[in-house]
Amino acid sequence: MTLEFTKNIRQFFIEIGELSYFAGRFFREAVKPPFEFKELLRQCYQMGNRSLVLVLVTSFIIGLVLDLQSRPTMEQFGAVSMMPNMVGISIVRELGPVITALVCAGRIASGIGAELGSMRVTEQIDAMEVSGTNPFKYLVVTRVMATTLMLPLLVILGDGLALYGSALVEYFKGAVSFQLYFTTVFDALSYGDLIPATAKSFFFGFAIGLVGCYKGYYCKKGTAGVGVAANTAVVFTSMVLFVIDFVAVFISDIFYDL
Amino acid sequence: MEKTAKEKFRLGIFVVAGTILIVLAAYLIGNQQHIFGNTFTLHTTFKNVNGLQKGNNVRYAGINIGTVKDIEMINDTAISVAMLIQNKMLPHIKKNALATIGSDGLVGSMIINIVPGQGEASLVKPETMISSYSRVATADMLNTLSVTNENAALLLQDLLRISGSMNSNTGAIGRLLNEPEMAEDLQETLRNLRLASENTAMMMKELGTVIGKYNIEQSVASTVFSDSIAGAKLRLTIDHLENSSVHLHSVATQLDAMVGEIKEGKGAINYLSTDTVLVGHLERTVQNLDQGMYRFNQNMEALQHNFLTRGYFRKLERKKAKSEKSRD
Amino acid sequence: MKRETHSIRTNAQEDLEREVIIDIRDLYKSFGKVHVLKGFNMKLYKGENLVVMGKSGSGKSVMIKCLIGLIKPDSGYISVMNNEIKTLNRETLDTLRSDIGFLFQGSALYDSMTVRENLEFPMRRHKKKLGPLTDTTPLVLEALESVGLADAIDLMPAELSGGMKRRVALARTLILQPKIILYDEPTSGLDPITSKEIIELMLRIQAKYGTSSLIITHDVDCARVISDRMILLVDGINYAEGTYEDLITSADPKVEAFFKK
Repeated sequence: MTLEFTKNIRQFFIEIGELSYFAGRFFREAVKPPFEFKELLRQCYQMGNRSLVLVLVTSFIIGLVLDLQSRPTMEQFGAVSMMPNMVGISIVRELGPVITALVCAGRIASGIGAELGSMRVTEQIDAMEVSGTNPFKYLVVTRVMATTLMLPLLVILGDGLALYGSALVEYFKGAVSFQLYFTTVFDALSYGDLIPATAKSFFFGFAIGLVGCYKGYYCKKGTAGVGVAANTAVVFTSMVLFVIDFVAVFISDIFYDL
Repeated sequence: MEKTAKEKFRLGIFVVAGTILIVLAAYLIGNQQHIFGNTFTLHTTFKNVNGLQKGNNVRYAGINIGTVKDIEMINDTAISVAMLIQNKMLPHIKKNALATIGSDGLVGSMIINIVPGQGEASLVKPETMISSYSRVATADMLNTLSVTNENAALLLQDLLRISGSMNSNTGAIGRLLNEPEMAEDLQETLRNLRLASENTAMMMKELGTVIGKYNIEQSVASTVFSDSIAGAKLRLTIDHLENSSVHLHSVATQLDAMVGEIKEGKGAINYLSTDTVLVGHLERTVQNLDQGMYRFNQNMEALQHNFLTRGYFRKLERKKAKSEKSRD
Repeated sequence: MKRETHSIRTNAQEDLEREVIIDIRDLYKSFGKVHVLKGFNMKLYKGENLVVMGKSGSGKSVMIKCLIGLIKPDSGYISVMNNEIKTLNRETLDTLRSDIGFLFQGSALYDSMTVRENLEFPMRRHKKKLGPLTDTTPLVLEALESVGLADAIDLMPAELSGGMKRRVALARTLILQPKIILYDEPTSGLDPITSKEIIELMLRIQAKYGTSSLIITHDVDCARVISDRMILLVDGINYAEGTYEDLITSADPKVEAFFKK
């Protein structure tokens, strides 16, 4: 029992260490030419396009539900007019980035994990290596950079749609015009809210791409390995996302007061 | 490129420990964000810091400008508080500023409010000692309220004891108040008062008719009445009279009410014990009444002697004499 | 350790006469506690078809990947055309690799690219060798024609059958006009007829381009048709060497086990 436990703990640290080495390799390879710009653009398009609809729909529903659920409480306090402030801040600061990142973890990280995993299993990665293309550069660097760049954009779009969902509820239940709603929201928001949230999104995107690639790149042989890679990519990514969020909250606390 | 499991394990531990350290550092910095030097220190002393803690905010005119750096007990009545203030506040805080302790909302944490002082003073320098002012904060108010409550309870007990001894007829006051003769005397006095006031009212009515006659009769006097200085004087006199009569009337009504109450009660004691203030009031009323009556008489006399009205009064007297004569 | 002493002597004699393209000496590789290669020796001479046979998991694929620098051996000497692999940096290794074609076991076509893009992919980094190219289409078509699949140029790999995939993969290894071709299980997963077609194709290419080939397989029929010489990989060492006829007549039980139907 204790032996198994220590083994698990050890395995956990080994996994973290492996991921860290992988991240280190990413940075080393990312700054060294040649750069795969064309593939980067293709991946950016892929990442953005593949998860756009999903992110928009999820965010819209989250905005809608958040407003509906918190409205009765705010009514009790007679603070319904504060709804746009509350919903706006919670979406922009926390919910928008986290929900988008989690959706993308499910969509993109698992996709990358499965894609690279199957490429590893069918020796496509070896084939690339043999044909003189650095697969790490071609596959990993482009994908990680693509997710890092695209996630903030998805977050901003998601935030927008979540706010729209919340505005819709306010419009029908509270007779708040869209103009009033968005004026209130933008009054309540400051750069101190927006900048840490956006910075956080970059890290989220980086984590999604990195863990997905890591799991796929070191995929175990066999068809089962691909499934495991895709699955653990999602689980591991979500865990890393929450850790990043936790750290980010503490760090951005310093900035909110500025 | 390939790392051994041992190396990976070590790096893993390093990364996890690093992350934890970053979180801790961020937490500490977030809590004491003025740790990085662009701050200066101000000192003040309080008698009571009301649960103020290190790290609580310091506000100047409602703006967060710093944190509490240190709280130190100097002696049993003085607690020294050091505050870290942002340097950019240096040109705004003057030496006569006052530090007070307040709370951030009804259940919020404690804060130090620095209030700009009255008048001119030079600006503070780092390490300046500013004076403090113990304002009653929410907590204090609640404390005071409870003390007041206790006092009120004590007072009530005392009162109960006094009234109890009064009722039991021991002591001079009790006997005095409980004598039925006293009540009758008082009643008598009041009856007289009422009579006087009724008389006054009657007189007033008569005077009114006199003046009305003056107006109707287009005599020489009426012209004088309307535009001469003497006329103005007369009018003033009449105004006085009117005021006095109104006053008298109101006193009379009050007396009426009082007497009614006394009648309903068993004796003076009842009345007096229900409202001690009224006794004073009654005294004053009677005095006023006296004065009013005196003044009224004076006024009436002055009227009689006035050269304008003299004729009327004489006429009146003559008529009276005539009618007496004719009756005779 | 039992060796065919006769074969080794032959080997040494040939060494003097013919140019050695690939030389592997005392190759060791283990994964954790599993020792896969325990002192493997091999020489590939110019222009010959050498077949390395062994059971699944005997370390054939590991050996060939060590050869191309995909796996780092624990110890041992590997040289390809007089370049010792472990002394090469990334750039010189890539240059050397452009002279080596590698046909992967499962074809390893890039799923997300068309056949044309698959064939163009190796040319991205090996432009030095081919010189400035404005249009790659003639080269792609030529390679595809030599495997008889010129029509499939704009198809996706998913639309191809197993045999077609293998041919496209072969075309991809040919596009850089390599001097050596390494075949990792060229007939695995194919039906006997398709296997035969692929083997014939391999022979045609051998004749056309004059390449030296190292073929790894556990398919005896394939070995019989294509091999000039064979090495049996058993227990992590080169257990027996010789021509197909030499080995099929061997009395060694472990060698016999390979050819028993």
